Amino acid sequence: MDPQLVEALALAGKHPELAGWLAAQRVQQQVLREKFRQITPPAGLKEQIISEQAASRRRLAMRRTAWFAAVAGLLLLGSLALVWLPSRAPENILARYQHRMVRTALEGYAMDMLTNDPAAIRSNLERRQAPADFTLTGPLQHTTLMGCAVTEWKDAKVAMVCFHTGKPLQSGAKSDKSDLWLFVVDRNEVPGAPETAVPKIAQVNRLITATWTEGGKLYFLGLEGREQDLRQYL
Amino acid sequence: MPGNVDFESLVARFYAPLYQFAFSLTRAEADACDLTQQTFVVWAVKGHQLRDVSKVKTWLFTTLHREFLDWKRRHTRFPHLELETTEGELPTVAPVNVSGLDIALVLGALARVDEIFQAPVALFYLEDCSYNEIADILGVPLGTVKSRLARGIGQLQKLLASDIAAGQATANL
Repeated sequence: MDPQLVEALALAGKHPELAGWLAAQRVQQQVLREKFRQITPPAGLKEQIISEQAASRRRLAMRRTAWFAAVAGLLLLGSLALVWLPSRAPENILARYQHRMVRTALEGYAMDMLTNDPAAIRSNLERRQAPADFTLTGPLQHTTLMGCAVTEWKDAKVAMVCFHTGKPLQSGAKSDKSDLWLFVVDRNEVPGAPETAVPKIAQVNRLITATWTEGGKLYFLGLEGREQDLRQYL
Repeated sequence: MPGNVDFESLVARFYAPLYQFAFSLTRAEADACDLTQQTFVVWAVKGHQLRDVSKVKTWLFTTLHREFLDWKRRHTRFPHLELETTEGELPTVAPVNVSGLDIALVLGALARVDEIFQAPVALFYLEDCSYNEIADILGVPLGTVKSRLARGIGQLQKLLASDIAAGQATANL
């Protein structure tokens, strides 16, 4: 017991008037205590608290289940992506590059420079920050140049060099129309590109194409025709 | 471990005293119910953090008191009154329930006690809490509890005496 209270009780024991006051206080406190305890909770409060808690647990469990399912799904997708992407993605990128360049050749483009002067072409490409120090195969060095253009692959510049093979044109076609195209880009821009200078032949859209790497550049040559027609220029 | 405390047993043991404490602070059944329920919601979420099982009662009362302070802050900013809560301010037309008036009289007087004394006084009368427990629940030093209780009980007694005297004077008219 509180020492001060012990002292107060001892003091009250010695003084009848103080003892009477203390007794009256005790009665008053007891009455007040009883009054406070007359406050009764409404019927059903206990059951409501318990049932709300059970419902809340169920909601939490459902939320957890949904969360775990979502995480598991993401992990599965991530695992699949890890297995699938390394083997497929670079090939896809190369294929996308090839299709894009073929579409550029077939669906129309504006040549930035019309000339048969190789030096002028290189100079134009260099000024436009496209690959200009490319190496032409022996046969290409003797093929008629028509001009050049610069196209883009992602953020990289692609040099497009246009040739005319001299084969008979289809009726209605302009006599100055190009029919052989060479695209040159930094090899690092196209993951999955061949690593050697040995040309890889493939049909892309209407063009027969050859793809190879030399000196850190990716070369992509295409024409409408057969494989042997193309091989004449490699 | 409190984590092992059975929720239903805990509710059965403490919901009534918690409700009484809440009601003595808010004087509104709906608010007291909300505060009591919210206290157990907080227990369900955070109760496992309590290491000492002997402190469950103090923990629950402390939580309810904090919830009450938050509730009061919100209601001060966004007061809203429902019909039940304004009944006391409406003209009385039905016969007065004497036993109900007694509780109402005590709580009405408590409501007029300085706000800072109300919680310690309610705890003192409701739960037979020791000074130390009240200090733990309210998060104030022991000496502060003693002084607040002494002054709060003093104010309450004066107000009750004055109310009773006024009631007798009205009855004598």
